[in-house]
Amino acid sequence: MGPAPTGEQLCGAIGEPEVMEPALEGTGKEGKKASSRKRTLAEPPAKGLLQPVKLSRAELYKEPTNEELNHLRETEILFHSSLLRLQVEELLKEVRLSEKKKDRIDAFLREVNQRVVRVPSVPETELTDQAWLPAGVRVPLHQVPYAVKGCFRFLPPAQVTVVGSYLLGTCIRPDINVDVALTMPREILQDKDGLNQRYFRKRALYLAHLAHHLAQDPLFGSVCFSYTNGCHLKPSLLLRPRGKDERLVTVRLHPCPPPDFFRPCRLLPTKNNVRSAWYRGQSPAGDGSPEPPTPHYNTWVLQDTALESHLQLLSTMLGSAQGLKDGVALLKVWLRQRELDKGQGGFTGFLVSMLVVFLVSTHKIHTTMSGYQVLRSVLQFLATTDLTVNGISLCLSSDPSLPALADFHQAFSVVFLDSSGRLNLCADVTASTYHQVQYEARLSMTLLDSRADDGFQLLLMTPKPMIRAFDHVLHLHPLSRLQAACHRLKLWPELQDNGGDYVSAALGPLTTLLEQGLGTRLKLLAHSRPPVPEWGISQDPPKHKDSGSLTLGLLLRPEGLTSVLELGPEADQPEAAKFRQFWGFRSELRRFQDGAIREAVVWEAASMSQKRLIPHQVVTHLLALHTDIPETCVHYVGGPLDALIQGLKQTSSTGEEALAVAVCCYDDLSRLLWGLEGLPLTVSAVQGAHPVLRYTEVFPPTPVRPASSFYEPLQERSSLLPRLDKPCPAYVEPMTVVCHLEGSGQWPQDAEAVQRVRAAFQLRLAELLTQQHGLQCRATATHTDVLKDGFVFRIRVAYQREPQILKEVQSPEGMISLRDTPASLHLERDTRQLPLLTSALHGLQQQHPAFSGVARLAKRWVRAQLLGEDFTDESLDLVAAALFLHPEPFTPPSSPQVGFLRFLYLVSTFDWKNNPLIVNLNNELTVEEQVEIRSGFLAARTQLPVMVIVTPQDRKHSVWTQDGPSAQILQQLVVLAAEALPMLEKQLMDPRGPGDIRTVFRPPLDIYDVLIRLSPRHIPRHRQAVDSPAASFCRGLLSQPGPSSLMPVLGYDPPQLYLMQLREAFGDLALFFYDQHGGEVIGVLWKPTSFQPQPFKASSTKGRMVMSRGGELVMVPNVEAILEDFAVLGEGLVQTVEARSERWTV
Amino acid sequence: EPMERRPLPPHDPPGHPSPPISFPAIPIKFSEKQQASHYLYVRAHGVRQGTKSTWPQKRTLFVLNVPPYCTEESLSRLLSSCGLVQSVELQEKPDLAESPKESRSKFFHPKPVPGFQVAYVVFQKPSGVSAALALKGPLLVSTESHPVKSGIHKWISDYADSVPDPEALRVEVDTFMEAYDQKIAEEEAKAKEEEGVPDEEGWVKVTRRGRRPVLPRTEAASLRVLERERRKRARKELLNFYAWQHRESKMEHLAQLRKKFEEDKQRIELLRAQRKFRPY
Repeated sequence: MGPAPTGEQLCGAIGEPEVMEPALEGTGKEGKKASSRKRTLAEPPAKGLLQPVKLSRAELYKEPTNEELNHLRETEILFHSSLLRLQVEELLKEVRLSEKKKDRIDAFLREVNQRVVRVPSVPETELTDQAWLPAGVRVPLHQVPYAVKGCFRFLPPAQVTVVGSYLLGTCIRPDINVDVALTMPREILQDKDGLNQRYFRKRALYLAHLAHHLAQDPLFGSVCFSYTNGCHLKPSLLLRPRGKDERLVTVRLHPCPPPDFFRPCRLLPTKNNVRSAWYRGQSPAGDGSPEPPTPHYNTWVLQDTALESHLQLLSTMLGSAQGLKDGVALLKVWLRQRELDKGQGGFTGFLVSMLVVFLVSTHKIHTTMSGYQVLRSVLQFLATTDLTVNGISLCLSSDPSLPALADFHQAFSVVFLDSSGRLNLCADVTASTYHQVQYEARLSMTLLDSRADDGFQLLLMTPKPMIRAFDHVLHLHPLSRLQAACHRLKLWPELQDNGGDYVSAALGPLTTLLEQGLGTRLKLLAHSRPPVPEWGISQDPPKHKDSGSLTLGLLLRPEGLTSVLELGPEADQPEAAKFRQFWGFRSELRRFQDGAIREAVVWEAASMSQKRLIPHQVVTHLLALHTDIPETCVHYVGGPLDALIQGLKQTSSTGEEALAVAVCCYDDLSRLLWGLEGLPLTVSAVQGAHPVLRYTEVFPPTPVRPASSFYEPLQERSSLLPRLDKPCPAYVEPMTVVCHLEGSGQWPQDAEAVQRVRAAFQLRLAELLTQQHGLQCRATATHTDVLKDGFVFRIRVAYQREPQILKEVQSPEGMISLRDTPASLHLERDTRQLPLLTSALHGLQQQHPAFSGVARLAKRWVRAQLLGEDFTDESLDLVAAALFLHPEPFTPPSSPQVGFLRFLYLVSTFDWKNNPLIVNLNNELTVEEQVEIRSGFLAARTQLPVMVIVTPQDRKHSVWTQDGPSAQILQQLVVLAAEALPMLEKQLMDPRGPGDIRTVFRPPLDIYDVLIRLSPRHIPRHRQAVDSPAASFCRGLLSQPGPSSLMPVLGYDPPQLYLMQLREAFGDLALFFYDQHGGEVIGVLWKPTSFQPQPFKASSTKGRMVMSRGGELVMVPNVEAILEDFAVLGEGLVQTVEARSERWTV
Repeated sequence: EPMERRPLPPHDPPGHPSPPISFPAIPIKFSEKQQASHYLYVRAHGVRQGTKSTWPQKRTLFVLNVPPYCTEESLSRLLSSCGLVQSVELQEKPDLAESPKESRSKFFHPKPVPGFQVAYVVFQKPSGVSAALALKGPLLVSTESHPVKSGIHKWISDYADSVPDPEALRVEVDTFMEAYDQKIAEEEAKAKEEEGVPDEEGWVKVTRRGRRPVLPRTEAASLRVLERERRKRARKELLNFYAWQHRESKMEHLAQLRKKFEEDKQRIELLRAQRKFRPY
């Protein structure tokens, strides 16, 4: 923190931000201004649309008051912008507990207190004699082994204390938990209770007796058990009020020993408190070697003794500083959005509170800091400090009897000692969890430093569930396999320490093994923390294997995914044996090009999609080899969605290779064009302008080899024609290529003449390509189709001044000015913007190899929902690109799966009304420019399309969404995405396997008024359907190059031709929906407005007829005739027209 | 409410725009097989006094609501029973005013996909129009003797027609360019003739082709000049030099902050209304 005096000055102000704001508002003198401000505020929510702010000059330039200046300065110092300050305040309001609710909770707590101290005592019995327990309650602990010495009796608690965040005021909604410590009277405990789980047995019996009595009390809506922070030895009793407050609060009762009962020196991490003789019925190894230490066990006992001292520490440090409390609340939200705080070994709110205390005590945080600054400082600390290597301690004493940090590092993966110097607060936190916390902190810091405007939203409001955050996930199911794994890994001491919890015991070694095996392919490995279950008091506690499944998340390094080789040491090195031992039979000796003979592992993967799944091979191999977990128990979720973008009969590839072949062919063609001799003007640039050439065509083209018998040859024009008696031939879409010529003054300056000259170039191009390179060509007035190696390219010659000529308007005075016309915009889009976009996205694919898969899955899904027609190819590609260029708070996806999930999330949550989607291709836009774009957007909102996508080349107009979608269609997409996302995530997170992954791709058909079913015989892309048909028709292709060199049938797609006619004829009356990838059905939706009777007008008779209604003659759609027209226009293609007339009336 | 479908009777419907017109309706179907029919609304073509029309008065029938599968040939055939048909022209919209018809090249202006169209049918004699107005129908577009292609048949034949003939295209381009070059040459010759020659009032036209070319008369060029001027002036100006300038720039900064604050508050209000502050 900067100069102290400033902080002192501001101290009062931060404490009461609520007071500050009205003070600012109240600076206005006249009431009129206040009302005008109110109006600007009240208006937008009504329309849900932001309005440009209009403030009068007088308001903008009035003399500032002192308060206003103070507020502004404070905002500048303590927050990074006024928006952030307002946002943080709103969020805190949302999560903080209201005073009213606090009162209700306090009342409930008093009741609990009264009842707890009145629970009757029971006489003393042996610990193993549990017959006194009433029938309706079970001991909330696995008592294995059952036999244990000691006696137990129940006495009401000596003291009932509320501990934890509730008192501090840092607990956050919606899950309000109040922790209550019950100090057990000394009479219950005996000297050696620290040993062999005796203390935990007594603790459990104590709770069981309490539970039995409290459950009979009508005050409580529910009484059940749960594990404290997931620790299987430490149950706690959960109490919830009856009635409407049941969901308001959960009171958790934690029995704890009387102060100073346990001698801390016996609970050091190096000490053993669970004897092998007792636990395993045998002494360790029998050779008199020392008992293994039980650091976790010791910690759990210590935790119970320190509950109160921790509370005291927290309340002295945080008590009076509102900023620190706000900071803790924000940190809790931050952790929860990342699912880091839940389950055993979670990075809990308590831990971050202690971390804040640590930072205050080391003067890294000052008590006058704002909540935002605290958040920032803690994140900064986490990002830069590795507690797995350099532990920290709150202990200030230099007592030599205290253990050294190194002792703790030996016993625990993460070290953060409390003020006693004996208790490791992070004892249960695994190294993976801490690394995940660190990784998230680092990401968040970068985000905060980038000064992005929506940092708040991304940091605190965006959930990061595992399935959406990690490229691949894998489920280990059933969990009981881990027990065998523990034995295989010889983890007996750990089991002894963990009280038999084999999941916790195996977790650490398992993640280390996988991290080592995945090596450079891996950026981060995270594991889910087993959730903390609740169970009824009459039930036995859940078994370890019942805690669901263990899910691991893999964040992959894209550059590591290209190699199929695991290079080991040279054969004669001593490490070679280690390598062989690690990889087992997969390790083999290989001679490399440089002559070295090395150990190596080679994975089988030919295509990009297979290479992406090498981690799957690594994981299954290592788990089977080292932990005996068979492949059947490893449910790897990395590529189930790949099936949707796999070509026909190509289950081994998701098409990146096929696209690369086409791009390669295009490169060859552009070389031929550059070198062409005899053109009046030489070729200056060749640019791709087709989805294939930016790797985003859903189904990549394959080389066409037509079977001549299938076609009608048109020899004189060397072309093939479709035949009536055959099924529709394969669909071949020419790939558009724009060809620029060198500049010349010879071009005519008249639009019509330019067209003719261009046509002459097209003809000449075809001639020359045929003469010089023997390519089959066909020229039209606007393009030249070229057949090269089975691919068809459509070359469009462009004249760079043509859009300008189309724009020229001459005023009466002879002044020539430029005005956009539809034709000029169209031409500019096709010949200038589209090539630029194509090359930018082509570049993006080189940077992020998963881009192609994500963009194609996204498009596949949108089209499968029958909405493909309304969204241009380019607009969807740009949305997919945004996931890579602006991945915050995630990192760029490395697998199509996670990218697709984020696509659904983006589509379903983005506020298109009030925000442009900025896709900063090549990072060309500066922060200032983006701000400018945003304000320009607000000012021009009403003239812009409903969906606005801004790129560096297209800052104002959003060319790719100009012609659609409409607001209704966009809304429909948003709704569909919002439904699909949770469904798909649930499927992928199901440990038993995802089930039918195509469910979310099947469109709802019940919303349509008419369904037109098409005959598959005339659907050329029938096999691309979501549910690929088992059999389809022959499409006249050979598997080997045939003798025919004629131009294949181009762009002939009967469903598309049919749709064009339908839209032209009935576009005023209805909307038509179709999946271009093999859809068998066209959905028709009548436009509601078109069924309104209209007066007779010569311009609106289309498809209507005159009727008499209520004595008046009006025009209504001639529905019966139109339905028959559907069949007539699509004769041969249409199978049936299903009118669902119950849905509409004329 | 009872509904009754019937062709429009020959009296003016209420609320109809003036001048009152009447459109008899002729049912038309694609073929025998269809149950329901569309209706052609026909009228003798007429225009207001004083305006000229491309279509001959009295002999032209104006037809509304021609279904998409009905071609010019079939319409001509269907109406030939009323009298000899001289020509049929289908259009997307009715002609509003007189517009010169230019012959459109099939290479450069391909025919659009037809929807419901309007037609101008010119009979050889005025009697054809009156006979057509009394036609009862239903007319059948496609019959056994004169089948009309639709669906797959039509698309295949359309595809065959769309395969271009490069020779024809070349010929068309050459003809056009010859005419164009000639036109340009004439214009240039004329401009050269007029170069430096004063007109009746003594004005001399200065063109770009002259010996001393002048700035082109375009908006862009004049904007460029203005911009250059502005920059020249800005260079001379002193910034934050006088005390009042300093004060003003501070005030400007404050005003910006205020504006931003208002914007932010509005944004927050909106988010609050959308319940966007619920973190989970």
